[in-house]
Amino acid sequence: MDNVTRFAAVNAKIKTMEGQFLKDEDYASLLKLESSTEVARYLKEKSAYSEVLASVAAEDVHRGMLENLIKQNMVKSIDKIIHYFTGDYKDFIKTLYAKYEIEELKAIARAVYNGQDAGDFKSSTFIGKYSKLDTNKVFEAKHVRDIIAALEGSEFYKFLEPLVDGNFTENLFRFEMVLDMSYYTILQREWSKLSKRDMEILQHAQGIIADLLNIQWVYRGKKFYKLSPEELLNYTININYRLDFNLLKSLCYAQNLEEFFRLVKTTKYSFMFKEDETTDIYMERRMERHIYFELKALVRNYNLSIISAFAFIIFLEYEVKDIISIVEAIRYKIPAEEAHKYIVRKL
Amino acid sequence: MAVERMKIVSIIGKLSDLDKISRLIVMSGSTHVMNALSELNSNNINLSASQEHMQALQELAHLGPYIVRRDLSKDEIMIKAFQELFSLKLEICEKYLSIGDEYENITSDLRKVHEGVSNISGGIGEKTANIERLQRYLENVGYLRNTSLKIEELKNMRFIRFRLLMLSNDNFKKLELNIENVPSVVFRVAAIDRNIVIAALTPEDLGEEAERIFASLNYKELELPDGYNGNALDITKRLQREIDKERSLVDELKASVLELREKYKDDVVKAYTLLELEKKAEKVKQDAALGHNMFFIFGFVPDSELDGISNKIQQNFSDSIVLMADNVEDRRHGHAPPTKIKNNILVRPFETLISMYGTPSYGEKDPTPFFAISYMLLFGAMFGDLGQGLIILLGGLFMSYKMKNKSFGGILARLGASSMLFGALYGSIFGSEELIEPLLIRPMANINTMLIAAIVLGMILITISYIYSLLNHYSSRNVEEGLFGREGLVGFLFFLTLVYTVWGKATSHLAVSIGLPIGIMAALLVVMVFKQPLAGLLTGHKLYEESPGDYYIEAGFGVIETVLSVASNIISFIRVGAFALNHVGLYVAFATMAEMLNSKVGGIIVLVIGNIIIIGLEGLIVFIQSLRLEYYELFSKYYSGYGVEYRPIGLFNEANTDG
Repeated sequence: MDNVTRFAAVNAKIKTMEGQFLKDEDYASLLKLESSTEVARYLKEKSAYSEVLASVAAEDVHRGMLENLIKQNMVKSIDKIIHYFTGDYKDFIKTLYAKYEIEELKAIARAVYNGQDAGDFKSSTFIGKYSKLDTNKVFEAKHVRDIIAALEGSEFYKFLEPLVDGNFTENLFRFEMVLDMSYYTILQREWSKLSKRDMEILQHAQGIIADLLNIQWVYRGKKFYKLSPEELLNYTININYRLDFNLLKSLCYAQNLEEFFRLVKTTKYSFMFKEDETTDIYMERRMERHIYFELKALVRNYNLSIISAFAFIIFLEYEVKDIISIVEAIRYKIPAEEAHKYIVRKL
Repeated sequence: MAVERMKIVSIIGKLSDLDKISRLIVMSGSTHVMNALSELNSNNINLSASQEHMQALQELAHLGPYIVRRDLSKDEIMIKAFQELFSLKLEICEKYLSIGDEYENITSDLRKVHEGVSNISGGIGEKTANIERLQRYLENVGYLRNTSLKIEELKNMRFIRFRLLMLSNDNFKKLELNIENVPSVVFRVAAIDRNIVIAALTPEDLGEEAERIFASLNYKELELPDGYNGNALDITKRLQREIDKERSLVDELKASVLELREKYKDDVVKAYTLLELEKKAEKVKQDAALGHNMFFIFGFVPDSELDGISNKIQQNFSDSIVLMADNVEDRRHGHAPPTKIKNNILVRPFETLISMYGTPSYGEKDPTPFFAISYMLLFGAMFGDLGQGLIILLGGLFMSYKMKNKSFGGILARLGASSMLFGALYGSIFGSEELIEPLLIRPMANINTMLIAAIVLGMILITISYIYSLLNHYSSRNVEEGLFGREGLVGFLFFLTLVYTVWGKATSHLAVSIGLPIGIMAALLVVMVFKQPLAGLLTGHKLYEESPGDYYIEAGFGVIETVLSVASNIISFIRVGAFALNHVGLYVAFATMAEMLNSKVGGIIVLVIGNIIIIGLEGLIVFIQSLRLEYYELFSKYYSGYGVEYRPIGLFNEANTDG
């Protein structure tokens, strides 16, 4: 199938859906609001989120609920895109759901580990979207191992299986790591079925994202978790763009943080670290903004390719994150001029 | 060959008989049950105020629905379990059917057996799991078959820990690239799927560190069995022996299951039969109305089955149950009677195509015979070919007997036969017109005759449709549409006059001047405009049912539509001739291609492919075109299809609905 037939229609659809993203003015207005009810009302009346918010009264919407509702909008949009693809391309886009499902599974696992009730997560948006499982079992879980058992029959299970035999002691950490790693394995397996050009573009895009995540991982592992270099290296994502394996390995084996920073400075990713106290607070946002602009550039350069759909879904994710950040900023009474530093969109 | 007459049946009796009577209704399988409460709301029940009816009449004041929800699902699960364990094919067995209360007895008996049986199946499950575990050991030990070392010794080394691990390809690569920092000696043992099996030798002192590294690679340990002496080969043999032993134990258990199967097979079938009966009987009860002591059930029963059902009730309950049968014509409100159509074997398959459009209303004439004959005619005329028709006929027979698709297979077979008939008339066999002489006409040589014949055929079919329409309007005593309507008498006269005029003009045989027929047609159209007030005058009802202004606007457009549709309906049939020609034309194209190939084998291949394409593609098009002519040109004249299908409640009714 040639690229025009494959992408022309879906890219047009994506363009119209991108037109429905919140405008900068919307961000400015949202930042000025004073409660999550007001945010819900604003979104309901003045944005594309009106559809998912239609069934609820803005007064009844609390924070967690709003979060799940606006995530519903993501699902709606992604399902629309899926509808335009066939065969391996359809499967690939469906795979992107795995990332969000894993995020939610991890959140449930953390809650369960801390003795909370998994049933509180019943309205989670993405559970089951990729794994196609009977989700009730997940919400009935009392232990992390129950969640693993609930995932039996899904794609995730064969990655989690080694956790079942024996060592239950520290398995929240391994549960999270294994799920995260499984996403990249599945992703690479799925994109290898696409055309060569699309696969290379995706390797480029995901490579940048993985570079950033790997640096962040090694940095955090060194600074907070004091993990051994071997473990650090084993838990890195095996996709890269600018950060080749040897450099990554030397990052892992850096004797101390100074050496680590010196090494990062030699890369294009030195912007992640400012060597002051803001480093940790804003690192996430710096990474996301970088990804945002890199993806924009890729979309411009590779017309009629899978990147439009891939990037669109990430942009959707960032918008959802931004809205959540705004609601949180309102809750913790952070003034607007301060709050905009925490959102991905550059105002 | 028609819509069967229905009777409304009211069954009234004591609550204590409700279970039995609902079983009886299900077993007789001929009652289309209605919701009793809604029926009582819309129609008065005709009970004479005699002594025996007094109680029932009193009950009418406080009726309610049947609200007991019996939970049969547990029994269903149990019977399912038996079915799986005994690998039975469960079918309803008529000899066990009875209206008595045996159900509870048989299920409670079975429940006792079930406990014992589930122990056995648990035992089988346990043993099978054990076999699986042993097989896993067998596999794992197999990775070490190239070494003659004793497994037990490998496992119990004092300073070095030996482990067999499985890693994913990706993670193995990571291990390889960083091997200089790993405190273990690693051998690659095997590769399976996307995974690598490694043997890792780690000094005990560094065990913890190595464990963390391997854990971060998400390893899966391949366990080696404890307590087995010897090298891999010896252990393999021993494991194999143990597996065989376990297997024979499983076989023994299975044999004991077989014994039980022989003993309880009939009981399970009986329980299944009664369970199905009970499930359906619950459905009957859900539509019943219950008073303090009495129940009311209403339903439609075909005339021909009424005696059977009332005899059965008489036999089983003598006089404790009142059964009354009324004519459907006597009731004015409530549910329309369901339609049961009954046709002979020749046209029965076509009922499927009719019900795709709609089920005939109860008062309507069953269109199936006319539909079937005209459909075969149209298909045959468009797709007349002796050879290709034979293939369609065989395909249809294959479908109906081998694939058990009676309705569609039956249609195909009949269409194929019709196609063969026309093939003989056209002298066409597998597209070729050279092999046999036509009995009637060569389409390609007589193009004009074909097209004119098609129109004549269309006019005949339309005329029959008008007659059907008149009969339907007569039976529903619809003066407005029947006499003055577009599909009624006036419309029919208009159609005939138009046809006569056009024919006369075209052949210069018009006996009168052109003005007269045009005048008649104009007059008929005027009558059509005034159909509602005219009918009102005749019957004495009110003149207009809506405001006169609205009525005349609608009627005015109706006239325009009448003129257009009469003309377009007739001309539509030209396609019958056109497709007959098209059929030949398509073959000519393939025949030319075959000739151009200059090779006998190639030519034959092209002709075979051509025939396949013609049967597949043109067959489908003609099938659809005929359907379109039927639905659009003919059904619009006489068929409403607003009926309700007759669906009696019965044990087999789901299985019995194929054509």
